[in-house]
Amino acid sequence: MSFIPGQPVSAVVQRIEIHKLYEGDNLILGFSIGGGIDQDPTQNPFSEDKTDKGIYVTRVSKGGPAEVAGLRLGDKIMQVNGWDMTMVTHDQARKKLTKKNEDVVRLLVTRKSLEETVRQSMMQH
Amino acid sequence: MMPIDRLADMEEKLRILEDLNMIYIRQIALSLKDSDIQKKIDYEIRMREGACKLLAACSQRDQALEASKSLLTCNARIMAYMSELQRMKEAQVMQRVARRSSDAGPMDDRSPCKAKVAISDLRIPLMWKDTEYFKNKGELHRCAVFCLLQLGGEIFDTDMVMVDRTLTDICFDNKIVFNEASPGFELRVELYSCCSEEDYSAGNTPRKLASKLSTSLGRSSGKKMRGTLEPGACSPTSNGGGAAILLPVPSVPGPKYHLLAHTTLNLSHVQDSFRTHDLTISGNEECSFWLPLYGGVCCRLAAQPRCMTQQMMSGCLRVKLGGEPQGWTNVYGVLKGTNLFCYHQKEDMEANVEPVLTIGINKETRIRAAEKDPHSKAQNICISNQYGGEEVTHTLAADSREDTQLWMEAFWQQFYDMSQWRQCCDDLMKIELPSPRKPAIVTPKQGALYHEMVIDTSDDIGTVTDILARRIEEFELRAQLGSPPHWMSLFDEDPPRSPHNHQHLPPHSPSPCHRTPGLLSSNASLTSDSDSPVSVSPCFRQAWSPDTSSSSGRFRPRTLSLDAKLSTLRGRGYGGFRCNCQPPTAGSGSPRPTQTALFCSSSTSSSSSSEGSNSQESDLGFSRPSGARRSLRNLRAKLDPRNWLQSQV
Repeated sequence: MSFIPGQPVSAVVQRIEIHKLYEGDNLILGFSIGGGIDQDPTQNPFSEDKTDKGIYVTRVSKGGPAEVAGLRLGDKIMQVNGWDMTMVTHDQARKKLTKKNEDVVRLLVTRKSLEETVRQSMMQH
Repeated sequence: MMPIDRLADMEEKLRILEDLNMIYIRQIALSLKDSDIQKKIDYEIRMREGACKLLAACSQRDQALEASKSLLTCNARIMAYMSELQRMKEAQVMQRVARRSSDAGPMDDRSPCKAKVAISDLRIPLMWKDTEYFKNKGELHRCAVFCLLQLGGEIFDTDMVMVDRTLTDICFDNKIVFNEASPGFELRVELYSCCSEEDYSAGNTPRKLASKLSTSLGRSSGKKMRGTLEPGACSPTSNGGGAAILLPVPSVPGPKYHLLAHTTLNLSHVQDSFRTHDLTISGNEECSFWLPLYGGVCCRLAAQPRCMTQQMMSGCLRVKLGGEPQGWTNVYGVLKGTNLFCYHQKEDMEANVEPVLTIGINKETRIRAAEKDPHSKAQNICISNQYGGEEVTHTLAADSREDTQLWMEAFWQQFYDMSQWRQCCDDLMKIELPSPRKPAIVTPKQGALYHEMVIDTSDDIGTVTDILARRIEEFELRAQLGSPPHWMSLFDEDPPRSPHNHQHLPPHSPSPCHRTPGLLSSNASLTSDSDSPVSVSPCFRQAWSPDTSSSSGRFRPRTLSLDAKLSTLRGRGYGGFRCNCQPPTAGSGSPRPTQTALFCSSSTSSSSSSEGSNSQESDLGFSRPSGARRSLRNLRAKLDPRNWLQSQV
């Protein structure tokens, strides 16, 4: 997930569709995010490249909508409902996830294990 | 008498006491004819003074924590040396007494050999509760911890580790080797911790803000604050330590470490693999330095007795090989570890040639002196071992009676050592020699560079240069102590690609930075993959080293006069200093006036901080926090780039 300046960034992504859940009169997704272009990227325990200022999943509530949909700890969120998440501030990211009139969010996430799986399956051919 | 006078009087008395004590110590050392301990004590006292000065001079929390750790270690070492001095003096006196009295019988008690004891891979598991996570959402409760290890007269400290709730274990990578341990050794492991919350350091906060904060803090944080202000409340030891009686320590303001847990390890804990030992925990949840320890410490404690690593005895022997009764072969025997190696000749051993014969010497071996061989003058030595079910006996002979006696003595000593060192003599335990200690560089993991400079908004250039001059003094002081500040590495001619080079410039590509790509590429050589929170715009680098880059013409410093002043300072041969020059962003309503940094045209930080102050609270999934203090705290937390915010969605 690290990039070389001048080269296009490519990543293996997975689509995850999370249906929000009502908790009281709040809609929740059941996970926590960390990161953002206004945050200190070196404190991100999940990123491979410590200058990566992307949005990462730092906690997934057990049995919550996110876990059920397939979101995992350490995933990097690339898009939310079509909105880019790789170059946003922490607050912007949170806002895109918590829009009150939406009850489904479709995420594009990437994680190291996805790349490994693809690489291994490619090597077999 | 005025209280101030009384204080000065006390200090004077303490100083006199200190001088008298030093004279006393020197006398003892002289009478023992041991200048070694004297030198060590002198050295530690000098180190301690240096640490005190550094503590008083430094402004950064990290430096203060490191200096406080050195102070604690110095104190502990001084205590240890003093007690050793006392013991030696007592032993000398006892000996004299014994000699004067009736002749003691021949001293035939053996002393076991010494060993190298190594402790490594210390790991202390933590046990965070769920409630800890939700309690202070924006602020990470951080503690600085380190371990102090003491065996006999040797004291070592590990590196300092910052602990917060994202850590599940405290890991110390240090490998520590003690060289002179006896079988009855006691290795004392002590874990010290110090709360590291910025709000509670008395030094940085200006008075008005401090009073506002102290009156407006909530219950739990107020309790913590009170805890730090009264160190006596929940800590048995503080910076002064027990050495206060003999060598009073001036109490220095700054972070104080408290003993959090301790344990004592001995020979029964030595094993060639990792083991978990129980920790005795002092302090309770109310203390500021508290950490939820699981209650154990995992480590590898290995010991290498000298009898296993060194040649205990060597010399020429004759051994009966084969079945012939008369077949004596001359060999060169070496007794080492659990074997007696017999080489053709001495040179073979040095050349690492395989020995002709290897006889095992272990707990099961039986050695006895045989009857006198009618053909030789000396007695034979018979060594019997059990190989499988069979008993195999080797017969050896030395050249003379004295040699035989020496060999028997060596075997007895070997058996004695093995019985004393027990499991350490079964097999040789590997001990890695610790790599030479890295210089104590304070890693700026928490702060960006612009946090190092503390300037009030109303200051002018003159004050800035004063601060710079102070920093240069501090740098010189630290240079004396042998640890160059991390920012000096930027001014090396060839920027080293070592992991210590923290001052790299990360590829700034996607940010709305109006730097030309040319500038970035010229700095590409400094980029490395190591950690660095420093996101200093490359523009300033150009101003400082016009000789390294040709594109300095493209950069126009915001404040020309400041730049000129700083260059003259540099030209005078002082170490350089980095400063970001731009008038502080007004109107952001920054609630941290003491740390108003001068940002250097790096628009990302300023734009996002103004955004941050406009946005709503980030904990949407929860009930909205009410009250001015909560929002103040959250706002402060959000604007502080040192925290890595996490939001629940």
